Amino acid sequence: MPLLSKQSKNTIVDPLMANNPIGLQVLGICSALAVTLRIDTAVVMTLAVIAVLCISNTVISILRSMIPAKVRIIVQLSIIASMVILTDLILQAYMYDISKELTVFVSLIITNCIIMGRAEAFAMQNGPWKSFLDGLGNGMGYGLILIAVAFFRELLGSGTIYGFQVIPDSFYAAGYENMGLMTLSPGAFIILGLIVWAQRIIGKVEPE
Amino acid sequence: MHNNRYTIIFTTLITMVLAFVLSSVYSSLEEITEANVQADIKKNILTSLGFQPSEEIPWSKENVEAIFNESVESFVIDDLGNVIPDKFPEDIDPKLNANFFPLYRKVIDGTIEGYAIPISGKGLWGTMYGYFSIEPDGATAKGITFYKHIETPGLGAEVDKPWFQQNYVGKKFVDGSGNLIGIQAIKGKVDNSSTESYHQVDGISGATMTSKGLNNFLLKDLRTYNSYFEQVRRENKG
Repeated sequence: MPLLSKQSKNTIVDPLMANNPIGLQVLGICSALAVTLRIDTAVVMTLAVIAVLCISNTVISILRSMIPAKVRIIVQLSIIASMVILTDLILQAYMYDISKELTVFVSLIITNCIIMGRAEAFAMQNGPWKSFLDGLGNGMGYGLILIAVAFFRELLGSGTIYGFQVIPDSFYAAGYENMGLMTLSPGAFIILGLIVWAQRIIGKVEPE
Repeated sequence: MHNNRYTIIFTTLITMVLAFVLSSVYSSLEEITEANVQADIKKNILTSLGFQPSEEIPWSKENVEAIFNESVESFVIDDLGNVIPDKFPEDIDPKLNANFFPLYRKVIDGTIEGYAIPISGKGLWGTMYGYFSIEPDGATAKGITFYKHIETPGLGAEVDKPWFQQNYVGKKFVDGSGNLIGIQAIKGKVDNSSTESYHQVDGISGATMTSKGLNNFLLKDLRTYNSYFEQVRRENKG
């Protein structure tokens, strides 16, 4: 028997491309714009979002029949908020330098629509294991775009990839300059727009 | 459908559980986090005093601690420039002790090689925090660093960059007759032939408000420490 059933596999793979939370649902782009200046911050942010999504989805799914419908949103939110604070505390203790750079954006995972959206749309209707996979898939889908945006911004804006200089010094000597626009938010918007465009063409998404 | 009683019990329980989890994680990690914060402060003081990490000695928590303990003396002065004996920067709470100020001194083999003072004040978007370091003569800038600010990346956030910080090195913040005048980041480039260039640095184009804020709070903080550095300057002359 394979590790994952076909359905479970789709739960993970779907959000990567065909139903990407950023590219197609255009959720959670605030943080996607803010933390994509460099790849390492994008990677840590991705891991944080994956952790929060998986845990909150699983916990909410376990509790789903016990959560009173009237107050379900607030209960979901308090679970999500607690997971985010937990992640933030762990980052501050073990990855202090990166947590300093991510600053408020870790706490702002609370307001990331992807997490709330998956809790309400998926975890409330499905079992814990499937919800966990859904969290994993959506977190990775989010991270994929984040890292892609960060890749271009770091390469064009600072001439490095994951902190390593890739544009040779001779280029700079010959008059090449880093693209300042890429270090600003508009640069992230442009890259993100291009990625969303490319993704929709590849995925043959009909315009709405 | 759950009734109201259930709803209240459920929400109370879940809140208690979550609060318990959070507070226990917080208290178990508190020590590590606090150590990180302290190490970061020390790292910033070291940077402003001209220490650099190297391949052999990267800035791990332990190395920072060791270098700091070996080469930096920290003490507290009052607003008249007197050193308060037996008080250390860790002991003072800025809210409670408004007249006590931390001061750091780089001492290598018994020779004073510089001083560092904390600086902070409003930039464009919020408060900027950093350290300003001073040569042993008490009148020349040795360096400037920032460890916390929320200025615009690419514009005001350039205060973080070496090109900007390098400009401060060697500039004087007192004039010929010993008056405190601060160091001004001006619009555009400094004209080196100007008689004013000794206390001016190149501003950041597009970040006038950040530069203005920085000029103001640097002068304000230097004024706070001026009585101490007046003594330093006097001793150096005599």
